[in-house]
Amino acid sequence: MLTAEDQTAIEQRLADFLTKSEAQWSALVDKGGNLFAQSGDTGQLDLSILSALAAGSFAATHELAKRLGEPDFSALYHEGHGQHILMSALHHECLLVTIFGERTNIGLVRFYAQQVTLSLNELLQQAREKEASTPPLLLEGEFLNDDQAAIT
Amino acid sequence: MRQDHQITHAQKGELVSLATDADRTLFFDFLSLNTKTLPGFTTRFQLYTVPGQAIYNTTRQLVLKGVDGIVFVVDSHWEKMADNVESFANLQENLIENHLSLVQIPYVLQYNKRDIPNAAPVNYLEFTFNNRANRALAFESVAATGSGVLETLNAAARLLLAKYSKTPNANVTGMSQPNLAVAVPPSVDNPRVTAGNAVA
Repeated sequence: MLTAEDQTAIEQRLADFLTKSEAQWSALVDKGGNLFAQSGDTGQLDLSILSALAAGSFAATHELAKRLGEPDFSALYHEGHGQHILMSALHHECLLVTIFGERTNIGLVRFYAQQVTLSLNELLQQAREKEASTPPLLLEGEFLNDDQAAIT
Repeated sequence: MRQDHQITHAQKGELVSLATDADRTLFFDFLSLNTKTLPGFTTRFQLYTVPGQAIYNTTRQLVLKGVDGIVFVVDSHWEKMADNVESFANLQENLIENHLSLVQIPYVLQYNKRDIPNAAPVNYLEFTFNNRANRALAFESVAATGSGVLETLNAAARLLLAKYSKTPNANVTGMSQPNLAVAVPPSVDNPRVTAGNAVA
Protein backbone atom coordinates (compact mmCIF):
# COMPACT_ATOMS: atom_id res chain seq x y z
CA MET A 1 0.00 0.00 0.00
CA LEU A 2 1.35 3.40 -0.96
CA THR A 3 0.22 6.43 1.03
CA ALA A 4 -0.06 9.96 -0.32
CA GLU A 5 3.26 10.73 1.47
CA ASP A 6 4.96 7.80 -0.24
CA GLN A 7 3.65 9.03 -3.56
CA THR A 8 4.99 12.55 -2.94
CA ALA A 9 8.40 11.16 -1.94
CA ILE A 10 8.55 9.03 -5.09
CA GLU A 11 7.52 11.97 -7.27
CA GLN A 12 10.28 14.11 -5.77
CA ARG A 13 12.84 11.44 -6.70
CA LEU A 14 11.40 11.26 -10.20
CA ALA A 15 11.51 15.05 -10.61
CA ASP A 16 15.14 15.09 -9.49
CA PHE A 17 15.93 12.29 -11.96
CA LEU A 18 14.31 14.28 -14.80
CA THR A 19 16.32 17.40 -13.95
CA LYS A 20 19.60 15.48 -14.00
CA SER A 21 18.92 13.30 -17.03
CA GLU A 22 16.96 15.91 -19.02
CA ALA A 23 14.37 13.27 -19.81
CA GLN A 24 10.81 14.35 -20.52
CA TRP A 25 8.62 12.14 -18.33
CA SER A 26 9.13 9.41 -15.81
CA ALA A 27 6.78 7.20 -13.84
CA LEU A 28 6.59 4.39 -11.34
CA VAL A 29 4.25 1.73 -12.66
CA ASP A 30 3.55 -1.75 -11.34
CA LYS A 31 3.85 -4.83 -13.52
CA GLY A 32 0.07 -4.97 -13.68
CA GLY A 33 0.06 -1.62 -15.51
CA ASN A 34 -1.11 0.59 -12.63
CA LEU A 35 0.41 4.08 -12.52
CA PHE A 36 1.51 5.00 -8.97
CA ALA A 37 3.55 8.16 -9.36
CA GLN A 38 4.81 10.32 -12.21
CA SER A 39 6.71 13.47 -13.03
CA GLY A 40 7.21 15.51 -16.18
CA ASP A 41 5.00 16.21 -19.15
CA THR A 42 3.63 13.98 -21.89
CA GLY A 43 1.11 16.43 -23.34
CA GLN A 44 -2.19 14.81 -24.21
CA LEU A 45 -1.11 11.18 -23.82
CA ASP A 46 -3.47 8.89 -21.89
CA LEU A 47 -1.20 7.79 -19.05
CA SER A 48 -3.20 4.73 -18.02
CA ILE A 49 -2.86 3.37 -21.56
CA LEU A 50 0.84 4.20 -21.59
CA SER A 51 1.30 2.35 -18.28
CA ALA A 52 -0.71 -0.68 -19.38
CA LEU A 53 1.24 -0.98 -22.64
CA ALA A 54 4.59 -0.47 -20.91
CA ALA A 55 3.78 -3.21 -18.40
CA GLY A 56 2.60 -5.51 -21.20
CA SER A 57 5.75 -4.85 -23.18
CA PHE A 58 7.94 -5.54 -20.16
CA ALA A 59 6.02 -8.71 -19.35
CA ALA A 60 6.53 -10.00 -22.91
CA THR A 61 10.25 -9.19 -22.70
CA HIS A 62 10.53 -10.96 -19.36
CA GLU A 63 8.94 -14.04 -20.92
CA LEU A 64 11.44 -13.86 -23.82
CA ALA A 65 14.29 -13.68 -21.32
CA LYS A 66 13.00 -16.74 -19.51
CA ARG A 67 12.85 -18.68 -22.75
CA LEU A 68 16.45 -17.70 -23.56
CA GLY A 69 17.50 -19.01 -20.17
CA GLU A 70 18.14 -15.51 -18.81
CA PRO A 71 16.82 -14.90 -15.30
CA ASP A 72 15.68 -11.44 -16.29
CA PHE A 73 16.21 -8.48 -18.61
CA SER A 74 16.66 -5.67 -16.12
CA ALA A 75 16.10 -2.87 -18.62
CA LEU A 76 14.31 -2.42 -21.92
CA TYR A 77 14.94 0.35 -24.45
CA HIS A 78 12.65 1.33 -27.34
CA GLU A 79 14.34 3.66 -29.81
CA GLY A 80 12.17 5.97 -31.89
CA HIS A 81 12.97 8.75 -34.39
CA GLY A 82 12.43 11.63 -31.99
CA GLN A 83 11.31 10.00 -28.75
CA HIS A 84 12.53 6.98 -26.88
CA ILE A 85 11.43 4.89 -23.91
CA LEU A 86 13.58 3.24 -21.26
CA MET A 87 12.01 0.81 -18.81
CA SER A 88 13.92 -0.42 -15.79
CA ALA A 89 12.86 -3.17 -13.40
CA LEU A 90 12.40 -2.21 -9.76
CA HIS A 91 11.79 -4.42 -6.76
CA HIS A 92 8.30 -5.35 -5.54
CA GLU A 93 6.86 -5.90 -9.01
CA CYS A 94 7.38 -2.31 -10.11
CA LEU A 95 8.87 -0.58 -13.15
CA LEU A 96 10.44 2.78 -13.85
CA VAL A 97 9.24 4.07 -17.23
CA THR A 98 11.10 7.03 -18.76
CA ILE A 99 10.33 8.91 -21.96
CA PHE A 100 13.02 11.14 -23.41
CA GLY A 101 13.71 13.09 -26.59
CA GLU A 102 16.56 14.75 -28.46
CA ARG A 103 17.66 16.97 -25.57
CA THR A 104 19.50 14.05 -23.96
CA ASN A 105 20.81 10.59 -24.85
CA ILE A 106 20.37 6.99 -23.76
CA GLY A 107 23.71 6.87 -21.92
CA LEU A 108 22.88 9.77 -19.66
CA VAL A 109 19.30 8.60 -19.04
CA ARG A 110 20.43 5.06 -18.26
CA PHE A 111 23.14 6.33 -15.88
CA TYR A 112 20.73 8.42 -13.81
CA ALA A 113 18.00 5.78 -14.10
CA GLN A 114 20.31 3.30 -12.38
CA GLN A 115 20.82 5.79 -9.55
CA VAL A 116 17.15 6.60 -9.06
CA THR A 117 16.30 2.89 -9.25
CA LEU A 118 18.30 2.30 -6.07
CA SER A 119 16.56 5.07 -4.19
CA LEU A 120 13.09 4.06 -5.44
CA ASN A 121 13.75 0.47 -4.35
CA GLU A 122 14.57 1.77 -0.90
CA LEU A 123 11.30 3.74 -0.75
CA LEU A 124 9.30 0.74 -1.95
CA GLN A 125 10.95 -1.45 0.67
CA GLN A 126 10.05 1.06 3.40
CA ALA A 127 6.45 1.19 2.15
CA ARG A 128 6.29 -2.61 2.20
CA GLU A 129 7.60 -2.74 5.78
CA LYS A 130 5.15 -0.05 6.87
CA GLU A 131 2.31 -1.95 5.25
CA ALA A 132 2.89 -4.93 7.54
CA SER A 133 2.03 -2.80 10.56
CA THR A 134 -0.84 -0.85 8.94
CA PRO A 135 -4.41 -2.15 9.22
CA PRO A 136 -5.96 -2.88 5.81
CA LEU A 137 -8.02 -0.13 4.20
CA LEU A 138 -11.69 -0.80 5.02
CA LEU A 139 -14.63 1.48 4.36
CA GLU A 140 -18.17 1.87 5.67
CA GLY A 141 -20.76 0.32 3.39
CA GLU A 142 -21.57 -3.11 2.12
CA PHE A 143 -21.08 -2.47 -1.65
CA LEU A 144 -22.23 -5.91 -2.77
CA ASN A 145 -25.85 -4.87 -3.29
CA ASP A 146 -25.24 -1.16 -3.21
CA ASP A 147 -26.56 0.81 -6.16
CA GLN A 148 -24.03 3.53 -5.41
CA ALA A 149 -21.22 1.07 -5.98
CA ALA A 150 -22.23 0.63 -9.61
CA ILE A 151 -20.62 1.67 -12.86
CA THR A 152 -23.21 3.55 -14.88
CA MET B 1 -15.46 -4.18 -25.09
CA ARG B 2 -17.01 -2.68 -28.18
CA GLN B 3 -20.32 -1.98 -26.41
CA ASP B 4 -18.87 0.51 -23.97
CA HIS B 5 -21.29 3.23 -25.19
CA GLN B 6 -23.66 1.97 -22.48
CA ILE B 7 -21.36 3.43 -19.86
CA THR B 8 -22.35 7.07 -19.64
CA HIS B 9 -21.29 8.33 -16.22
CA ALA B 10 -17.83 6.89 -15.75
CA GLN B 11 -14.89 8.67 -17.30
CA LYS B 12 -13.76 6.38 -20.10
CA GLY B 13 -10.27 6.09 -21.51
CA GLU B 14 -9.57 5.20 -25.11
CA LEU B 15 -10.09 1.57 -26.13
CA VAL B 16 -6.75 0.08 -27.13
CA SER B 17 -6.62 -3.14 -29.11
CA LEU B 18 -3.44 -5.11 -29.73
CA ALA B 19 -4.74 -7.16 -32.61
CA THR B 20 -3.34 -8.91 -35.68
CA ASP B 21 -4.11 -7.72 -39.23
CA ALA B 22 -6.98 -10.21 -39.27
CA ASP B 23 -8.46 -8.38 -36.25
CA ARG B 24 -7.75 -11.21 -33.85
CA THR B 25 -6.75 -10.12 -30.37
CA LEU B 26 -3.03 -10.78 -30.13
CA PHE B 27 -2.17 -9.55 -26.66
CA PHE B 28 -5.08 -7.72 -25.06
CA ASP B 29 -7.79 -5.12 -25.51
CA PHE B 30 -7.66 -2.49 -22.83
CA LEU B 31 -10.08 0.10 -21.47
CA SER B 32 -9.77 2.14 -18.30
CA LEU B 33 -12.75 3.56 -16.41
CA ASN B 34 -12.62 6.22 -13.71
CA THR B 35 -15.69 5.94 -11.51
CA LYS B 36 -17.09 7.40 -8.31
CA THR B 37 -18.30 4.05 -7.06
CA LEU B 38 -16.94 4.54 -3.54
CA PRO B 39 -17.80 7.66 -1.54
CA GLY B 40 -14.75 9.94 -1.31
CA PHE B 41 -12.72 7.89 -3.75
CA THR B 42 -12.07 7.74 -7.42
CA THR B 43 -11.85 4.09 -8.40
CA ARG B 44 -10.07 3.29 -11.61
CA PHE B 45 -11.02 -0.01 -13.21
CA GLN B 46 -8.65 -1.33 -15.83
CA LEU B 47 -10.39 -3.79 -18.13
CA TYR B 48 -8.39 -6.25 -20.20
CA THR B 49 -9.64 -8.95 -22.52
CA VAL B 50 -7.45 -11.91 -23.38
CA PRO B 51 -7.14 -13.70 -26.73
CA GLY B 52 -9.08 -16.95 -26.94
CA GLN B 53 -7.00 -18.99 -29.42
CA ALA B 54 -4.89 -21.80 -28.02
CA ILE B 55 -1.64 -20.48 -29.55
CA TYR B 56 -1.84 -17.28 -27.54
CA ASN B 57 -1.60 -19.00 -24.18
CA THR B 58 1.59 -17.22 -23.19
CA THR B 59 0.05 -13.79 -23.70
CA ARG B 60 -3.07 -14.91 -21.81
CA GLN B 61 -0.88 -15.86 -18.88
CA LEU B 62 0.86 -12.49 -18.95
CA VAL B 63 -2.43 -10.58 -18.90
CA LEU B 64 -3.68 -12.66 -15.98
CA LYS B 65 -0.66 -11.67 -13.93
CA GLY B 66 -1.83 -9.13 -11.37
CA VAL B 67 -5.52 -9.73 -12.05
CA ASP B 68 -8.00 -8.69 -9.33
CA GLY B 69 -11.24 -10.00 -10.82
CA ILE B 70 -12.33 -12.14 -13.75
CA VAL B 71 -15.32 -12.35 -16.07
CA PHE B 72 -15.39 -15.69 -17.88
CA VAL B 73 -17.48 -15.43 -21.04
CA VAL B 74 -19.14 -18.65 -22.23
CA ASP B 75 -20.32 -19.00 -25.84
CA SER B 76 -23.85 -20.47 -25.76
CA HIS B 77 -23.44 -22.38 -29.07
CA TRP B 78 -23.65 -26.14 -28.50
CA GLU B 79 -20.74 -26.62 -30.93
CA LYS B 80 -18.53 -24.34 -28.81
CA MET B 81 -19.08 -26.24 -25.58
CA ALA B 82 -15.87 -28.27 -25.82
CA ASP B 83 -13.93 -25.03 -26.50
CA ASN B 84 -15.64 -23.38 -23.52
CA VAL B 85 -14.71 -26.21 -21.20
CA GLU B 86 -11.13 -26.23 -22.50
CA SER B 87 -10.85 -22.46 -22.00
CA PHE B 88 -12.21 -22.65 -18.46
CA ALA B 89 -9.71 -25.39 -17.59
CA ASN B 90 -6.96 -23.35 -19.25
CA LEU B 91 -7.94 -20.27 -17.21
CA GLN B 92 -7.58 -22.26 -14.01
CA GLU B 93 -4.20 -23.66 -15.12
CA ASN B 94 -2.97 -20.17 -15.99
CA LEU B 95 -4.05 -18.85 -12.62
CA ILE B 96 -2.08 -21.61 -10.93
CA GLU B 97 0.96 -20.60 -13.04
CA ASN B 98 0.56 -17.12 -11.52
CA HIS B 99 0.10 -18.59 -8.02
CA LEU B 100 -3.59 -17.67 -8.01
CA SER B 101 -6.87 -19.61 -8.12
CA LEU B 102 -10.60 -19.08 -8.59
CA VAL B 103 -10.97 -19.62 -4.84
CA GLN B 104 -9.02 -16.41 -4.18
CA ILE B 105 -10.16 -14.22 -7.05
CA PRO B 106 -13.66 -12.78 -7.43
CA TYR B 107 -15.09 -14.02 -10.71
CA VAL B 108 -18.36 -13.82 -12.58
CA LEU B 109 -19.72 -15.99 -15.38
CA GLN B 110 -21.35 -14.53 -18.47
CA TYR B 111 -23.41 -16.76 -20.77
CA ASN B 112 -23.16 -14.95 -24.08
CA LYS B 113 -25.00 -15.19 -27.42
CA ARG B 114 -28.34 -15.99 -25.76
CA ASP B 115 -30.11 -14.74 -28.91
CA ILE B 116 -29.00 -17.61 -31.16
CA PRO B 117 -31.71 -20.15 -32.08
CA ASN B 118 -30.04 -23.26 -30.66
CA ALA B 119 -28.47 -21.77 -27.53
CA ALA B 120 -27.59 -24.31 -24.84
CA PRO B 121 -30.04 -24.01 -21.93
CA VAL B 122 -28.85 -21.97 -18.95
CA ASN B 123 -29.30 -24.87 -16.51
CA TYR B 124 -26.95 -26.94 -18.68
CA LEU B 125 -24.34 -24.11 -18.63
CA GLU B 126 -24.79 -23.73 -14.88
CA PHE B 127 -24.23 -27.46 -14.41
CA THR B 128 -21.11 -27.37 -16.61
CA PHE B 129 -19.42 -24.19 -15.37
CA ASN B 130 -20.95 -23.35 -12.01
CA ASN B 131 -21.37 -26.68 -10.29
CA ARG B 132 -19.52 -25.97 -7.06
CA ALA B 133 -20.15 -25.25 -3.38
CA ASN B 134 -19.72 -21.47 -3.72
CA ARG B 135 -21.51 -20.73 -6.94
CA ALA B 136 -20.38 -17.68 -8.87
CA LEU B 137 -22.81 -15.03 -10.09
CA ALA B 138 -23.86 -15.77 -13.67
CA PHE B 139 -25.47 -13.47 -16.25
CA GLU B 140 -27.08 -14.06 -19.62
CA SER B 141 -25.94 -11.69 -22.33
CA VAL B 142 -26.06 -10.73 -25.97
CA ALA B 143 -22.78 -8.84 -26.27
CA ALA B 144 -23.53 -7.72 -29.84
CA THR B 145 -26.44 -5.60 -28.56
CA GLY B 146 -24.90 -4.86 -25.15
CA SER B 147 -27.61 -6.76 -23.30
CA GLY B 148 -26.36 -8.08 -19.94
CA VAL B 149 -22.85 -6.64 -20.40
CA LEU B 150 -23.05 -3.80 -17.89
CA GLU B 151 -24.78 -6.07 -15.36
CA THR B 152 -21.85 -8.48 -15.59
CA LEU B 153 -19.27 -5.73 -15.24
CA ASN B 154 -21.07 -4.30 -12.24
CA ALA B 155 -21.26 -7.66 -10.51
CA ALA B 156 -17.50 -8.10 -10.94
CA ALA B 157 -16.88 -4.51 -9.80
CA ARG B 158 -19.02 -4.90 -6.67
CA LEU B 159 -17.32 -8.16 -5.73
CA LEU B 160 -13.99 -6.35 -5.99
CA LEU B 161 -15.11 -3.35 -3.96
CA ALA B 162 -16.70 -5.53 -1.29
CA LYS B 163 -13.17 -6.61 -0.36
CA TYR B 164 -12.74 -3.12 1.09
CA SER B 165 -16.00 -3.11 3.03
CA LYS B 166 -16.03 -3.13 6.84
CA THR B 167 -19.04 -5.42 6.65
CA PRO B 168 -17.78 -8.97 6.19
CA ASN B 169 -19.10 -10.55 2.99
CA ALA B 170 -19.13 -14.31 3.21
CA ASN B 171 -19.38 -14.65 -0.56
CA VAL B 172 -16.41 -12.48 -1.36
CA THR B 173 -13.16 -14.29 -1.92
CA GLY B 174 -9.63 -12.94 -2.17
CA MET B 175 -9.75 -11.04 1.10
CA SER B 176 -6.43 -12.20 2.44
CA GLN B 177 -3.95 -10.01 0.54
CA PRO B 178 -4.46 -6.25 0.45
CA ASN B 179 -3.31 -5.07 -2.96
CA LEU B 180 -0.31 -2.75 -3.34
CA ALA B 181 -2.48 -0.76 -5.73
CA VAL B 182 -4.77 0.47 -2.95
CA ALA B 183 -3.92 3.98 -1.84
CA VAL B 184 -5.42 6.32 0.72
CA PRO B 185 -7.59 9.28 -0.37
CA PRO B 186 -7.25 11.32 -2.51
CA SER B 187 -5.22 8.82 -4.48
CA VAL B 188 -6.71 6.19 -6.68
CA ASP B 189 -7.01 2.46 -6.43
CA ASN B 190 -6.86 0.33 -9.52
CA PRO B 191 -8.72 -2.94 -9.54
CA ARG B 192 -7.97 -4.88 -12.65
CA VAL B 193 -10.72 -6.86 -14.31
CA THR B 194 -9.91 -9.35 -17.01
CA ALA B 195 -12.57 -10.69 -19.31
CA GLY B 196 -11.64 -14.14 -20.51
CA ASN B 197 -13.39 -14.81 -23.78
CA ALA B 198 -13.80 -18.49 -24.47
CA VAL B 199 -13.73 -17.76 -28.17
CA ALA B 200 -12.48 -14.31 -28.99
